[in-house]
Amino acid sequence: MPPTVKVMRRPEGVRTSFLRATLKGMALTFKHMVNPNKITVQYPEERMEITPRWRGTHRMETHADGRPKCVACGLCPTVCPSNCIRLVGGEDDQGNRYPIVYEIDEFRCIFCGMCQEVCPVEAIHVGVHYENAEYTRDRFVYDLDRLMEQDHPTSLLWDPSDPKSE
Amino acid sequence: MSDQQTPNTVTFTLDGQEVTVPKGTTILRAAESIGIKIPHYCFHPGLSSPAMCRLCLVEVEGWPRMAPSCKETAQDGMVVFTNSELAQKQRTGVLEFYLVNHPLDCPICDQSGECDLQDYVFEEGREHGRGREPKRVLGRDDFGGDVLFNGDRCVMCTRCVRFMREVAEDERLCVVERGNRAVIDTFFEEGLEGSPYAGNIIDICPVGALISKDFLHKARAWDLDRTPSVCPSCSQGCNITLQVRDDLVQRLKPRENLEVNGWWMCDFGRHNYEWMNRTDRTEVPMVRGQEVGWADALGDLLQALKDAKESVKAVTWAHAPNEEMGLLSGLLAELGGGEVVYRSPRTEGEVPLPGFPLLARREDLAPNVNGAEIFGFRRVGDNNSQGGLDELAGHDGVLIVVGDPIEDYGEDFGSKAELYVYLGSYQSKTASNAHFVLPITTFAEQEGTYTNVQGRVQRFWPGVRSPASARPGWLILGALVAELTGTEAPVSADQAFAKIAEKTSEFGGITYRDLGPRGAVAGKPAGVSGD
Repeated sequence: MPPTVKVMRRPEGVRTSFLRATLKGMALTFKHMVNPNKITVQYPEERMEITPRWRGTHRMETHADGRPKCVACGLCPTVCPSNCIRLVGGEDDQGNRYPIVYEIDEFRCIFCGMCQEVCPVEAIHVGVHYENAEYTRDRFVYDLDRLMEQDHPTSLLWDPSDPKSE
Repeated sequence: MSDQQTPNTVTFTLDGQEVTVPKGTTILRAAESIGIKIPHYCFHPGLSSPAMCRLCLVEVEGWPRMAPSCKETAQDGMVVFTNSELAQKQRTGVLEFYLVNHPLDCPICDQSGECDLQDYVFEEGREHGRGREPKRVLGRDDFGGDVLFNGDRCVMCTRCVRFMREVAEDERLCVVERGNRAVIDTFFEEGLEGSPYAGNIIDICPVGALISKDFLHKARAWDLDRTPSVCPSCSQGCNITLQVRDDLVQRLKPRENLEVNGWWMCDFGRHNYEWMNRTDRTEVPMVRGQEVGWADALGDLLQALKDAKESVKAVTWAHAPNEEMGLLSGLLAELGGGEVVYRSPRTEGEVPLPGFPLLARREDLAPNVNGAEIFGFRRVGDNNSQGGLDELAGHDGVLIVVGDPIEDYGEDFGSKAELYVYLGSYQSKTASNAHFVLPITTFAEQEGTYTNVQGRVQRFWPGVRSPASARPGWLILGALVAELTGTEAPVSADQAFAKIAEKTSEFGGITYRDLGPRGAVAGKPAGVSGD
């Protein structure tokens, strides 16, 4: 049986006034105009404060002389569940192990923060940061220089007042 | 292990289990035989046991103190506890001492992931160290050859010293100073340079004190895929493990086989792996310069072979596995006979390992010279695997090349051939006249067997992915032989070997089942030895 559509006819000759509805809406607007508890944030002039445990795009910590703290141990690419870290280790002229290539694909990253948690030298961190817009996709593969340039605060990962989540 | 007690066995209790072992077996080996691992550093099955690491101490009922299980032989009626409270406490205590001067630099240590100290401390060590004194810092020392010494990480097990003394019989390492200040060192500036088996001390070092310069920072131990294989660098056929990351061979390590190489391999073989990562590969089947699919290529080739049934000559090399050689020989028989020649590099003099007489770097620097001889191939060319093919270069009949890239000949190689078939893994200018260029896999990418200098047939397994269109040589040759004889084509290396073994009396009817991971000597199939 074919589906049928029942057509409801608008009652003819009945006049509808929108005045009452308009007044009702304007009343709500004026109520919010004088309401002291404003919740709209005037971004970008104003910004919301984000939690210190926020996990955003990465940042590589550096030594005082500008070298990355990373020692290319290979734990972050191993632990990374989305396989977004590419690391090639090597040795510099002073015999220190360092990352020749360190790239994070921020599009593949799921921001779990395990790279920061596993890092034995506190080099790689997820950042307390959210403004990441770029004009091209390839700018989202952060290389070592880019990661070291980042200057936003780094994530705490856990609540300092309750570090064991008890 | 029989339950019947004969005078040559002893029965004792180990962690509550009755164990019967041959007389003279140490407690540690007896425990291993029933699957109980006792932590140890200084003990190595190929070396003497000085019982100096103090980690393998076990509790024996009624004994006044703990016994080193690597040295103490099992006796009748002994009651041994490897995991009692006392034994665990002892190990935790010993491990704490090991960490007194250990730098705990696991993140930058190449041994990390395959380090015994890391494993044992993780399992039984203290959660936190109690040391308050500064750690001793020695820095690192270049021992020469491939060996880099990092004194801070050393646990003084002296396996390396004992290897050089007892197995290499080339005493170049010793313990300098005593007690807390003891350190491994070489004599003056002599170092390990030129010692042909020194690389083994890197393998037996339980920690990251001795590391390979060649492998330094190349890959982490947990990133490597390990595939059992056979060393292709000489006709000894040492059992090895291919350690591969991202389809590139990163290093070779010896694999235990007491009848071939023990636990050892030579540095020549160990470092001769770069060619396995060559990228100038043949990738797709080509028929007269046109890329074609495999079905078309084989169909055309079969027709061409049938049309040109006269005067066949073939050349191969001693890197070809038995399956490839056997089926090549079978193909030639079907084509009305013809001679197969092979080339193989050779050097003067063997390099034996004095402490393990079965093992030597042999004169033939290719893995399957013995296989080629079994199939009756004629050896040509000089000791660098060059030349000797002048007759074939201008041959006007059917010319078949299997494996050998023939890089020492020019572009006119095979230009007069009526039909020139090149089955090779590598691009070569001598293939430019080939009517058929068929890509085959290398030994690292396929399954197969080599026959070593002892006549032992040993299997190897694929550890690297091949270019998409490359096929094992035995698969191609097997299909051709099958089409010509009207039999079924082999679809696995197992079947290919069975096919050649039934025609080659030298293999004495052995099958892949007989070979197992340790191989079997041709002519007398052995039982499958355990891994």
